[in-house]
Amino acid sequence: MRQVRVAKFRRASLAIATLALLTLGASSGYTETTVEVIHYFNVEGQVQALADIQKDFEKANPDIKIKYTYVPFGELVSRTLQMAAVHKAPAIAAIDNPDVLRVAKSNILEDISQEVNKLPIWSDIYPGPKKAVTADGKAYGVPIGSNSLALYYNKKMLSEAGVEPPKTWQQLSDVATKTTKSPVYGIAFSAVNTEESTWQWEPFLWSNGGSLVDLTSSNAVAALQLWVDWVSKGLASKDALNWEQGDVASQFTGGRAATMVMGPWMLDAVKKSGVDFGIVPIPVPKEGAKPVVPLGGECWCVLKTNSQVEAAAMKFISFTEEPERLRKLCDTFNYISSVKNIAKQQGESNPQLVPFVEQMDTAKARSEDGGAKYPEISLATRTAIQRAVSGQAPADQALKESAAKINSILSKN
Amino acid sequence: MSESQMTNLVSFSEGYGSQRSRFNFSPYVFVLPCALFAAALLFYPVVSSLALSFRQATVDTFVSGDMPFNGLTQYQAAIGDPVFWRAVINTVLFTVFSIVFQFTIGFLLALLFQFEFPLKSFCLALLLIPWVLPLLTSANIFKGLFNEAGLINQLLHLAGNRPIPWLADRQFALPATIVANIWVGFPFNFVLLYAGMRNIPVELYEAAKLDGADYWRRVFQITLPILKPVSVSVLMLGTVYTVKVFDLVWIMTGGGPANSTHLLSTYAYQVGFSILNFGEAAAIATLMVLLLLILNLFQLLMKPR
Repeated sequence: MRQVRVAKFRRASLAIATLALLTLGASSGYTETTVEVIHYFNVEGQVQALADIQKDFEKANPDIKIKYTYVPFGELVSRTLQMAAVHKAPAIAAIDNPDVLRVAKSNILEDISQEVNKLPIWSDIYPGPKKAVTADGKAYGVPIGSNSLALYYNKKMLSEAGVEPPKTWQQLSDVATKTTKSPVYGIAFSAVNTEESTWQWEPFLWSNGGSLVDLTSSNAVAALQLWVDWVSKGLASKDALNWEQGDVASQFTGGRAATMVMGPWMLDAVKKSGVDFGIVPIPVPKEGAKPVVPLGGECWCVLKTNSQVEAAAMKFISFTEEPERLRKLCDTFNYISSVKNIAKQQGESNPQLVPFVEQMDTAKARSEDGGAKYPEISLATRTAIQRAVSGQAPADQALKESAAKINSILSKN
Repeated sequence: MSESQMTNLVSFSEGYGSQRSRFNFSPYVFVLPCALFAAALLFYPVVSSLALSFRQATVDTFVSGDMPFNGLTQYQAAIGDPVFWRAVINTVLFTVFSIVFQFTIGFLLALLFQFEFPLKSFCLALLLIPWVLPLLTSANIFKGLFNEAGLINQLLHLAGNRPIPWLADRQFALPATIVANIWVGFPFNFVLLYAGMRNIPVELYEAAKLDGADYWRRVFQITLPILKPVSVSVLMLGTVYTVKVFDLVWIMTGGGPANSTHLLSTYAYQVGFSILNFGEAAAIATLMVLLLLILNLFQLLMKPR
């Protein structure tokens, strides 16, 4: 009795195994490549745009499947590293541009210099975004689009105070003084304990000729003193130390700030709020100087996997970088295209973007200060920003201490 | 070999041999799943984190996997940074103040709830809300309350005071997070102490009452001593929970302003996932466990023998 049952079981399992083998054989006979794209885009429009591109791409390339993997913003780099460390690297990572060189240094990104040279848009990319993805003449990524910072102002508040939109630091402080009237602050910005504060301070530092690797310079001190003065004179809320950029925007849209330092990605939200607003380039130290703003935005990076997946990944990237598609992608993301020609078209069809487009010529990749070490340097810098703005130390003292820390970071191998 | 030794040997082999053949595996089989889980989810991560703390694990070396062993370098780097010591002091302050207030509030509330009063069970359910609420929600509520335009400052304003930038000021930021944590944690203390008090036989109180002991005397001489084992467990668990608080502080201040509210947990996270220095982060985490052991040791001394 027992014998029979065992035999039956054996026969059944044999049949199942054969079936499994057959199906496996069938699926491997048809070569389909899966391209996994890891990213942190979670705004509705962004998700939709990515889904549309996937649909179009898979239609044009039936042998390639796109698989999006979403991770939260703060985890993208560490997750990508982890996946690569266990040999399960995604095919493409959409990496925030200041992180690209650092990730490249860990030797998990493919050098795609040859491939990008074949892209029609490559020669027309602004110098800043290009620098963010290149090290030692090797390209490790292709910019998806850029964003940066400019000054939003509340038209009604400025005209009531009888002031013009500011062009220089002096004018900006003047505007802030005249528009500050409880509960309205003249200016709002983010000095929070994240990358956002360094990012928001960089336009002032760089427009004044300063650099993150030379924080003891008088240019750097003056740029930080500007922020400190706004807070100590009550033109800006001390809560800036705790505001992320989203909080800054709600201060502005809630009518509690007359101006704010903000990027193009907030345009829709500000428009929706009904505030009558205008945008001007970041005010500069002296009349006639050029604003130098930091570049935001992500880059497609190809990870080292195998030649088949890498080729498919590059195909997908080239597909997204075709001018018309790229324009649409940047428009839905509220990004300025990193490609000169497309950016100019965006400015023509949407005048509010013009200040951002104009700034692109001189915009700077954040990793130009410190290369792969930028994230660490930025961390040390924001400690100085927070110490000075919260009044724990004078600006020059706070910067001096952070500069010492930055020097030791730079001297590490 | 003498005869008696021979018989001894025989009886030995007989006795044990037969037992061995009937060796009972079932208890071990029942323990196995638990042991496997403990090994995979507790033992392995702890050991590998400890191992990581002795290696130079940064972005450059992590992926290639050749993280070279460099002894105590990570620990030296960690304790050489003033922010680390700030985080140690903050963690101790945060834990001590949180626990003292959580326990006191929980204890007094538990006493109150020994009385019968209208809507008692409704209030009981209400008291559990802070404990049930997702921490993400509570942290953001408190961030809003302590905001410059938040409720607390508006109340201050009504009372004729100037607004205080609670979370943006070095002096107030840590106390503000402690207040939030007390609110989050007191129901835990309350529930356990409340249950403990319910188990004390009423006769003890009645006898004491007859002997003329007033209410507070009964509390101090009956309730507290009998509750001692429960209290020690509550305090130890509370300490463990509090030392490893992360999300609350991370959301409310992110360790700022200027690193003044970092706990060891948030600092380790920053070193690990912002700077991507995994080795040093592991070292900080190890030191955090050490601190936890020291704090628990103090409490073990209080434990009744």
